[in-house]
Amino acid sequence: MAFLELDDVTKLFGKLAAVEDVSFNVDQGEVLGIVGPNGSGKTTLINLISGYYKPTRGTISFMGKKISVLRPDEIAKLGLVRTFQSNVLYEKTTLVQSMLMSSRLQYKTSDIESFMETKKYKDEHEGVVGNVLQTLQLLDLFNETFRPASVLSHGYQRMLGIALALAANPKVLLLDEPTTGMNYEEAQFVVENIKKINEQGITVLLIEHNMKVLLDVATRVIVLSFGSKIADGNPHEMMNKPEVIEAYLGTETV
Amino acid sequence: MPPAGIWIDGLVQSSTYITMAFGMVLVFSILGILNWTHGQYYMIGAVIVYYGVTAAGVPFPFSMLVVGLIIAGLGMLVKKVIIDRVSGDLYVGAVTLALIFFFEGLASMLFGMQDKGLANVLPGSLDLGTFSVSYQKIAVVGFTLVVLIAMYIVLNRTKIGLSIRAVAQEPRAASLYGVRVERVSLLVMGIGCMLAAWAGCIMAPVYAINPFIGRMPMIFSLLAIVIGGLGSLSGAIIGGLILGFLNSVMTYYISYYSEVVLFVLVIILLLVRPQGLFGAALK
Amino acid sequence: MNVWLNRFRTYDWRNMWPKVVAAVPVIIFLLIPVFTQGEIVLNMLILSGIWAVAAMGFTLILRTGQFSLGQAAFMAIGGYTCAILTVVLGWPWWWGFLLSGIVSGLIAMLIGSVVLRVGGIYFSIITLSLTEVIRIIAQQWESVTHGSRGLITTPPPNIDLGPLHINFMANSVPFYYLTLILVAVTGLVFWQIGKTRMGGTFYAMLANQTLAEHEGIHLMRYRVIAFTLAGVFAGFAGAIYANYLTVISPLIFGLWQSIQIMMMSIVGGMSSLVAGPIIGSTVLYILGIQLSRLPIYGISQLLYGAVVVLVLIFLPKGTGLIDLWPRIWRKIYREVEDYEIPGETRQED
Repeated sequence: MAFLELDDVTKLFGKLAAVEDVSFNVDQGEVLGIVGPNGSGKTTLINLISGYYKPTRGTISFMGKKISVLRPDEIAKLGLVRTFQSNVLYEKTTLVQSMLMSSRLQYKTSDIESFMETKKYKDEHEGVVGNVLQTLQLLDLFNETFRPASVLSHGYQRMLGIALALAANPKVLLLDEPTTGMNYEEAQFVVENIKKINEQGITVLLIEHNMKVLLDVATRVIVLSFGSKIADGNPHEMMNKPEVIEAYLGTETV
Repeated sequence: MPPAGIWIDGLVQSSTYITMAFGMVLVFSILGILNWTHGQYYMIGAVIVYYGVTAAGVPFPFSMLVVGLIIAGLGMLVKKVIIDRVSGDLYVGAVTLALIFFFEGLASMLFGMQDKGLANVLPGSLDLGTFSVSYQKIAVVGFTLVVLIAMYIVLNRTKIGLSIRAVAQEPRAASLYGVRVERVSLLVMGIGCMLAAWAGCIMAPVYAINPFIGRMPMIFSLLAIVIGGLGSLSGAIIGGLILGFLNSVMTYYISYYSEVVLFVLVIILLLVRPQGLFGAALK
Repeated sequence: MNVWLNRFRTYDWRNMWPKVVAAVPVIIFLLIPVFTQGEIVLNMLILSGIWAVAAMGFTLILRTGQFSLGQAAFMAIGGYTCAILTVVLGWPWWWGFLLSGIVSGLIAMLIGSVVLRVGGIYFSIITLSLTEVIRIIAQQWESVTHGSRGLITTPPPNIDLGPLHINFMANSVPFYYLTLILVAVTGLVFWQIGKTRMGGTFYAMLANQTLAEHEGIHLMRYRVIAFTLAGVFAGFAGAIYANYLTVISPLIFGLWQSIQIMMMSIVGGMSSLVAGPIIGSTVLYILGIQLSRLPIYGISQLLYGAVVVLVLIFLPKGTGLIDLWPRIWRKIYREVEDYEIPGETRQED
């Protein structure tokens, strides 16, 4: 039984197959890269895993449990948390507020206990705040803790997106093109953090365009083209496979 | 099978709803929100045409034309001076709601709260065997047809109609193509309000006139566009038709609770298929 | 001057002052009946308070990202429940009152569980329809509700607790305190929600529904919670309304009342769960009453609409009257501050 398993997953929009008969497993603790040209179905795949879409055919299972029928919040509760490619943030809130709003899953106390502000809740809350500040520090966002997200540069807003996902206590982190819009240094920074996150035991699914990043951090890579999986294996090997190069024809490769 | 009179009545009601709903959808496409004041333009149209005919002695058709233009101007004024100054869907909605009170108050002050009647413009009725239809009611239906045809021609065959459709669907792209979005929005607002006013005018001789007659038509045109699908012009027409007939038939069978049934049907529709018949599904 | 102010440095008076000043109205409200037993004043305050409770519910639902035009419907349900139980079935008054909130809440929960799934404008239209449906049923179900003639309600019985002798029929004072208690309880509950984790959860749903859902927030659960709570308190408010006016009829709880409740919340300021709706309802209700005294027929409505329109135009986006307070405070404060600490600049966001 694999950690995360996709079986013949297909998503049809009308007649168009965004994703077609995709199957693969993800082992616990690995960093799996997902690559493919635009329109190959990468984001759709993440949408399927996170519960935003339901597959037309096929199933997705996590730790033996079928998650393809669950709601996004139920899937997040099980430990699968994603980031978004377009900047999806809480408008008009400060960083620390956004982080706290995203940390709902770190709490074990019930809503009633939080309403009554019981000692148990307050202690837990302190711990969560500590975690939040730590995460912000990890991602170099600490200086802007009390400022709204709009003051961040685009790259740092993506960083915030990752921080928000981390706040939700993930076992598996699904990153949708985290380095898009970042300069070299910021991208490097993200890579470093992915490694740190992975070292803490979190499995990472990484959608990326940037091959450099993948070569650096991914243990395995899956290549998609027009909704189907065309390759699966070691990143270095993938880059030299003719099918992969053909799929990318016209775009930059390393 | 309800008697033929009910079907005729349904057609008449549909006509009003169609005109109103069409105007409402037009405005919705450019404002992005529902213009709750829409019903008020219906009422003002009826009121002014009343004065036009009784006080100024202007013949009805001519009055109607003028009223349409006046209300179009009023609608455009409201948009420019008030609605454009308020930002945010919620606030625009709130403003249009507040304007309901404003216009009803104005009308109460000038017109008085008593029901006033306007004599039938086309007196007499057509005898069709078992029942008769007043010419006025036939005129309502005929007028609606004329309006619809005119709208079709304008929207589909004229340059300005093209601009309108462009702005309704994709304002940014339209402006990039040189369409003066501001102006077109204003124009569409005018047209929408004009339609509402004309609906009020044409119905003025049929029912009584008082400052509050705008409320129900607004609710019904809202229901009509919901049935047809928010944002869909053809939906407004179909929705208006369905609503008119439903209302007529329901009133005939279960008079007191007819409205309840209508609302409940709309609720169920929204729960099961919120996008109505033709609307795009909003996620 | 500087030295004197320095003495107060030990207190965080910058943060304290607004709270102290805000506490003053609360104390004033508690003591009003001591100073005036004027029926008119008390009447205005009672009704403002009742609408404030409904408006607070509206704002709570808004906090979860939904726009409900159904608050008046729950007031109706509460009012009629209380009236029917006490008048028609002869129950003891306080039980009828208690049930008014419970029944409204239960119905809110049931309806909300079904209707909140669609959300957005469709939800708003459904609540609009529901309000009208309830009004029409109240009007037509003559056998139970006496239709448009209305049901005459019985007031709460006299309370005799030792030295305390409360007669609800004597004047408006007992109802005033009853309303005040309801407003206070509602305000405290909502304020506490806003202050704690659930408030953050609600706000997350409003700020970005998709993101919130992917962070593990069960949208329906919290929407229903907010909707139910709003319904419970609206029910109590409706019961007080019905009993205070001694008659309940379908005309007082229709779509247009829901719309007015919405306006009270917006004008008061939607960013505030408690103070905003209270201010909004008080201002709008008193405005409405004062305007209706004007001799010309219709001018009250006209001015009412005009005032609301003007408020909406001139208040910057997303704010209401409540948000004037920090602005005024900052304006006043800035002068004091500049005087006290020359050289330090204060940034206005």
